[in-house]
Amino acid sequence: MSLSNLLNNWAALRETRPYEDQYKNSDYKWGMVVDLDACTGCNACTTACYAENNLPVVGKETFAKGQVMHWLRIERYWGDGEQLPEFPEQGAQFLPMMCQQCEAAPCEVVCPVGATHHTPDGLNSQVYNRCIGSRYCSANCPYKVRYFNWANYPEKAWPNPLEMQLNPDVTVRTKGVMEKCTFCVQRLTEAKNVARTQGRKVADGEVTTACAQACPASAISFGNLADPTSEVAKIWKQQQVKLAKDHQDKEEGARGYRIFEELRTYPSVLYLERVRDNEV
Amino acid sequence: MSSYSNISRRDFLRVLGLSGAAATLAGCGKTSIESGQETVQSFVQPEDFVVPGIGVYYASTCTQCVSRCGVMGRVREGRLLKLEGNPQSVISRGKICALGQATVQAQYNPDRITSPLMRQGGALVPISWEKANQILNDQLGSASRLSGKQIAFLTGEVGGHQSVLLNNFLETFHSNHHVVYDPLSTAVGRSASQVVYGVDQPLLEIDKARMILSFGNDFLGVGPSSVHMAGQYARFRKAPRGVLVQIEPRMTITGANADHWYAIKPGTEGVFALGVAHALVQHSAYSNGVPAEVISALKAYDKETVSAITGVRAETIPHLAGMLWERSPSLVLSGYGAESHANGQQNAASILLLNLILGNQNKTLTGQAKQPFPQLLPSQGSYKAFANLNNEMSAGNIKALLLFDTNPVFTSPGFMPFAKNLSAVPFKVAFATQLNETSNECDLVLPLLSPLEDFGTHVASYQPQGIELGIQQPLMTQLYPQTRSFGDIMLDLLKLRGVSEYKNFPNYYAYIQTALIKSKPVFKSGLNDQEFWEDALSKGSLRLDVGPSTLSPKPNAVSIAKPKEEAADLILPFHFVPSVRADWRDGTHTNLPWLQESPDTLTTVAWDSWVEIHPSTAEQMQIVEGDVLEIKSSAGSIKAMAYLFPGIHPDTISMPLGQGHTAYGRYADGIGVNPFKIIAPVYDEKTGELAMHATRVSIRKTGERGRLTKDEGATNLQQGRKLVAMVSPDQVNLSKEISHVVK
Amino acid sequence: MNSLFHRQCATFTMIFFAFFLYCATAFSEPFVPGGDIGSQTENGFNSLGPVVEQPIEFPHNVHAGQLGINCMYCHTYARRAPVAGIPRLNKCIGCHQWVASVKDKPRIQQLMEYWDKKEAIPWKKVHDLPDFVRFNHERHIQRFVFQENRPAKEACGYCHGDVANMVTARRVKALSMGWCVSCHQKDHPISATNSKTTNGPNDCWQCHK
Repeated sequence: MSLSNLLNNWAALRETRPYEDQYKNSDYKWGMVVDLDACTGCNACTTACYAENNLPVVGKETFAKGQVMHWLRIERYWGDGEQLPEFPEQGAQFLPMMCQQCEAAPCEVVCPVGATHHTPDGLNSQVYNRCIGSRYCSANCPYKVRYFNWANYPEKAWPNPLEMQLNPDVTVRTKGVMEKCTFCVQRLTEAKNVARTQGRKVADGEVTTACAQACPASAISFGNLADPTSEVAKIWKQQQVKLAKDHQDKEEGARGYRIFEELRTYPSVLYLERVRDNEV
Repeated sequence: MSSYSNISRRDFLRVLGLSGAAATLAGCGKTSIESGQETVQSFVQPEDFVVPGIGVYYASTCTQCVSRCGVMGRVREGRLLKLEGNPQSVISRGKICALGQATVQAQYNPDRITSPLMRQGGALVPISWEKANQILNDQLGSASRLSGKQIAFLTGEVGGHQSVLLNNFLETFHSNHHVVYDPLSTAVGRSASQVVYGVDQPLLEIDKARMILSFGNDFLGVGPSSVHMAGQYARFRKAPRGVLVQIEPRMTITGANADHWYAIKPGTEGVFALGVAHALVQHSAYSNGVPAEVISALKAYDKETVSAITGVRAETIPHLAGMLWERSPSLVLSGYGAESHANGQQNAASILLLNLILGNQNKTLTGQAKQPFPQLLPSQGSYKAFANLNNEMSAGNIKALLLFDTNPVFTSPGFMPFAKNLSAVPFKVAFATQLNETSNECDLVLPLLSPLEDFGTHVASYQPQGIELGIQQPLMTQLYPQTRSFGDIMLDLLKLRGVSEYKNFPNYYAYIQTALIKSKPVFKSGLNDQEFWEDALSKGSLRLDVGPSTLSPKPNAVSIAKPKEEAADLILPFHFVPSVRADWRDGTHTNLPWLQESPDTLTTVAWDSWVEIHPSTAEQMQIVEGDVLEIKSSAGSIKAMAYLFPGIHPDTISMPLGQGHTAYGRYADGIGVNPFKIIAPVYDEKTGELAMHATRVSIRKTGERGRLTKDEGATNLQQGRKLVAMVSPDQVNLSKEISHVVK
Repeated sequence: MNSLFHRQCATFTMIFFAFFLYCATAFSEPFVPGGDIGSQTENGFNSLGPVVEQPIEFPHNVHAGQLGINCMYCHTYARRAPVAGIPRLNKCIGCHQWVASVKDKPRIQQLMEYWDKKEAIPWKKVHDLPDFVRFNHERHIQRFVFQENRPAKEACGYCHGDVANMVTARRVKALSMGWCVSCHQKDHPISATNSKTTNGPNDCWQCHK
């Protein structure tokens, strides 16, 4: 690959997508809404993700090194400032963070072997077979939602008969490959398959991710942004957040926002601000 | 290194094992394009809806906590993969918590018992069921002379038909010695609720409240029905928006979600509530229904006095009273922390009194629907009954002890010497899926089916809407041929004891089926017996749509006494709060790897115990994170690393319950320490329950320092980055939002 | 100290490199798409798989060939699930409990033994794709049989070969990724900027789990 080729392609990528109404004529563009006001931080979603996607339990030592494999994690903050408050009078703030399936993903462009791409239905794909473990993608990810298999976890993570719990629709990864949240692509593929045979598109609410299905407070919504009648599309529109803009012009009182929008990653996950009464 | 010799580029990824009992065993081999290595999923006579490659969902009821949520399991080729909430259950509404998800790991736990075990020469050795039955016959058969108190059945909060059989079994010995030990007993709260409302537990209409004032009630965490209540809470936050104020010594998950959180001195919650009551009754609107003697007793609780006792700023009291005036209907909740002191019941009653003054009854507090099957309700645990059993054991009065769904050697307070008293009992039988500290000490251990392999019936003690009789059914055939259903074993024991009415039931399934079909008229079903049964199984429950009952509170019954001044303790200066995680509970579930790996919501610590200490206190004592501290009470001492935690009263420290196992499998053993062992013998004055939050401790730096395994990384501050953006309610228009469906 | 350290580094590096070469050569196998490569045809290259011994020597030539039974009668899940599936035991019994002419044949007796014990026959996989591949039979059958109205023999035979003339099934096509992609690319050439969702077959995630 020549240098000029590289630079040309880079320019093309940044100009080609995302663009206004990119998915207008597409069948699917998967998106998510996370209501931070409803999220209680209970970790039901993270456990559901472990169950659905064959995530290995790495154990204490590996966890302590920061090599835990949770594709979806709950981050807990105290306040929004620079200083730890004496008492967290407004409680804690919980942020469920998973792969944002960025439209202009910083991870996609730096993979030396092309193991990560953007699918036609708007997901950031990770192909384990191609991955050689350079870890450039996780270095580039501003959300730090890419997880590397530092060891051969299948050796110890599933002593018999725990391996019977493994989901056959999801690969079990071994040492040396990068992995991340896939928006439960195995469920999406299954739903699209059923719909296609019946000659229709996947209806809103027909398919959902494991985390959205589990959440007791219904804080996570998942759906098809290309379908204007879907719940997530309606919420995105109502919150006046456009997929292909890095700076939103919206009215006060719309509490939808995306994280690190200024980095121009164009994420597919919309967060709704946590509402807390200061007067109280 | 040896694995490399077999790996080609295509072998890069492997899938381990497959099949359940109904299908053929599959090979665990290479994954190149190959032929003749693996076997195909092969069926004999599957149902029509079983299609290879597509999961089938079967309904059941989760048994991991008292909520008894309806769940459904995804089964592929006869093998259970994952649980989801059952949308047809009114309790779970299609949602599920982390503990529910982790039940599959209890099912497939590598440390499950797979055959009966007998004590021989100090160790437990595997025996056949024939031998086990022989032992049961010798000890508990028709020739047994045991009667009355001599035989005891110690369990957790078991209900449904299991409990019916269990009690019938005891009756054959002219005994009603069924002792229920819940280490996280809600007996004090129930007693206070009886005093004030006339019911054990009212229904909390969380989504109808405009304001919730919670004194440490952890409805989003521990319960009493946290999955359902999280949904109610989400609706509570939608327009018209409700406000949550939490007052507690140590921040719970519910407190973390409050609009305002107040730290309060442990045990003084009742005084604070009376301070708010004092402010409220100044207004005639709120003093109308209140008896004169209560109003005059409240006079002593002016805001300065209350502030001095509780440590909360005096202005807070009229502020909160004002808010309660404005935001009606409100809901005032008492919590486990407030109830777990020597004046616990008094605290709780004072807190619940606020609801009466505010007129919340039958608005946000209603009575639960009338139970059509009270005999199926779980018996509620109490410490007192457990302590009596302990005394009987130490006096040598217990000749036979049966244990089910309980681990008292682990959960009993250290001062009890329960393990020692247990060894005095000549015959001890444990029914268990996995060995724990208690069953390890028994003479006979009978291996049970996991909850996902068994039948059962469950009526949760907290029914959020109508009555839901949850049906538990196997989600796959049993993994281990030697394990048996608790219900089946009890039926056999009843037949052994010569109880004729059970002769016609070949197994527990037949018994439940008959019993439920007999109950058809109660559920007003027009279906024939077979249809009724199949419909119940496919839905996972039987439902009765009845409305809540009316609450008739008794304000006269509330008496207010000034709490005793707590002497400053110089030797044990700190209050000790043993915190309860929603997924670990009393430690029954720390044998599940997902729950050990799941970082604690508030501290993000995993795979360990920790001591939560306020940063200002830590600075005074020159304690930094990771310092190994010795926490010593009058009953014992334990050591763990310090974690600086702003959500705690500066005079209080807290440690999580559930760790410190020594004989509970590879995922629990040797991890952390067990705070149950340092709980001091302090009891609630009114009910005699163990006051779990009344322990005083001293802190000593051991000089060692380690590093806590945690998820939060270097910082827990947003530092101006817009991560979790917060906005005040006047800046948003929630009623304009498309309320995304809260199920 | 300095030079000793550098010498130690150099030694270590050489040992490491030598070891790396050793591993790379000794343990890497040349990629062979499953067996000996046969002749090239317009369907892609043939590649003969090994003979697979089955618990019962099921004669496809009798059933699919002589009797002309449609592939999908037995392999019923092919049109409605990602996995084509082996017929359930009671499907075999469904016919064979009535067919008197072969009742005493040894293979039928073997079959009946399994049925009497209600034991699943441990058929061996003949067309076994790696576990990280998601191959969806339903989509292929829906397209070629139901949409394009090709006869089952042609649609199934494209990948599985002339099963009607085999005794026990044997893999005769490569089934490698390149072989699959060669068909997928015919009507859907890969393009860097094409975002049409019907470009499904060329998306990595369509087939890689």
